[in-house]
Parts: sequence; structure tokens; C-alpha cells
Amino acid sequence: MNKTEYFKKLTDELGHMPYGDVKDIIQSIEEHFDEGINEGRSEEEIAESLGDPKELAVEFKDGAKFKQIMKKRKMSDNFKGPDGRGRIFVIVFNAFVGIECWLLLLAAIIAAFCFLAADCAFIGLIVAGLITGTLTEFMLPFIFLILTLVCVAVFLVALLILGIKYYAKGLKSYIRWNKNVWNYGLGED
Amino acid sequence: MNSQIKKGILDLCVLALLEKGDSYGYDLAGSLARKVEVADGTVYPILRKLASEGVVSTYLQESQNGPPRKYYHLTDAGRNKLNAERDEWIKFCGEVNEILSKETGGKADE
Repeated sequence: MNKTEYFKKLTDELGHMPYGDVKDIIQSIEEHFDEGINEGRSEEEIAESLGDPKELAVEFKDGAKFKQIMKKRKMSDNFKGPDGRGRIFVIVFNAFVGIECWLLLLAAIIAAFCFLAADCAFIGLIVAGLITGTLTEFMLPFIFLILTLVCVAVFLVALLILGIKYYAKGLKSYIRWNKNVWNYGLGED
Repeated sequence: MNSQIKKGILDLCVLALLEKGDSYGYDLAGSLARKVEVADGTVYPILRKLASEGVVSTYLQESQNGPPRKYYHLTDAGRNKLNAERDEWIKFCGEVNEILSKETGGKADE
């Protein structure tokens, strides 16, 4: 095998490597041939000692793969960062998400208060009715107050149920997303 | 010799050759192939890989006869890597030899 044949086989095998890399590789092997020829060796002799061009191409490709792996690892290292910004983000973000949670709790408390107030007012009304024996004038707005309180409470409960439903729906994927960021985007483990 | 076993350690051999001074591909190929049973071409993929890792750097230098040569230089990072891994390898070799040698026959611990 002479120099031209050797290069043909080598470049065929290098095939889908980036052009710049192939050019670089060819240059260094060409330099090798030139040095050998300068020493008085024949092209065939040099090609023989260089080894099978197919195997050589595979070794070059393996080296390039290694380079890519290192690049990837470097990138993930950069993403990780020593400052753990991802984790701070999760904490701050969750504080905001937490506000919604607090709002739901607040709504529940107000609803409970409304029910309680309505109950008290209702009992008060009955007691007042029993004592006086008749429905006096002031009792009418009282009944309206009770109805309003019950309405507000029912409205809040409905809102609460709706809120919890959607909250629960999003929570599962949300927790998964949190885990992911917490673990620097390297899966859930 | 099994090429898988050789593969891992040849990087270190090339670094060690460069420790003695900067050199070019053909010279390194010869130095390596004279000592270890490998094809002359083997050194080139290794040099590329080492360069991409940043443990060796390259520069072109004119030669008296013929085209300019691409010289390889061991960087500080390369020197650190060499020193660390050389000690590891020598220690490992000692342990393996002790296990493999016929005299002790794997009874090195006794």
C-alpha cells in the first residue's frame, strides 16, 4: 500500500468526522510519511509500520468520542455550579407557590368563620324568637345576615374545592420538576 | 499483547516521553514503537486526545530539511497528570506482578 492508497482508506473510514478534524489528522499522518521518506524509507514500508488505516481511523474516532464526553461532563459541571443557584431558585419559587397554599388555608378559615357566625346568629334568632314569642322587626335583617354568611361560606368552599383540585393536579408534576432542579437536572435520584 | 490493556496506559507513556522534552509526531511514534509493540500510527490519536484534554500543547517549528514539524509540549496540567498517574501505575504494577508471579503464586498476603 502506498501513501495515496493509505490516505484513501484512512479518509474513507474517518468519513463523518468534522472536516477540520480530518484535515488535521491527514496533516499529521502526511508529516509522518514525509519524515519517513526523508529518512530513505519507502512509502510501503511507512504505511506498513503505521498500521491498518481502518484501525487507526477507529482510534481517532474513539478519541473524538472521549472529547465529546469530556465536553458534556464539563457542561454539566458548569450547570451544577458551586453556588447552588438552582436550589436557591427552588426555595424562592416555592415561597411564592406557598402563598397560594396560604390563600387556600385563609379561605378555609374564613369559610369556617362564616358558618360558625351563621350558626350562632341562627341560634340567637331562635332563642330571641322563643323569648319574645314573635318575630320582631330587627329580626329581618338578622335573617338576611345569616343568609349572606351562609352564601359567602358556600362560595368559599366551592372555591376551595376547585383550588385544591387544580392544586393537586399540578402538584405531582410540580414536585417532580422541583426534584429535578434540586438535583441539578441530573434526574430524580 | 491485549490491546485493551495497552490502550489505557499508552497515554501515560506518551506523556512520559514528552517529559524529556518537546518532540514531534514521527519521533514520538518511533520512540514508542521501539519500546512497546504498537503500530507507529497509534501515537497520533493519543496525541490528538491529549491535546484536546489540554495536557499537551502544540506548535509548528521549521525543520532543516522538509516541511515544518508539529511539536508537542507537555503542559503543567500534563505534568501533574503524569506525576499522579505514574505513581498509581507503578504501585498497581507491583501489586499485579505479585499476584501473577509464579514464585508467590498469588499468595502475597501470607
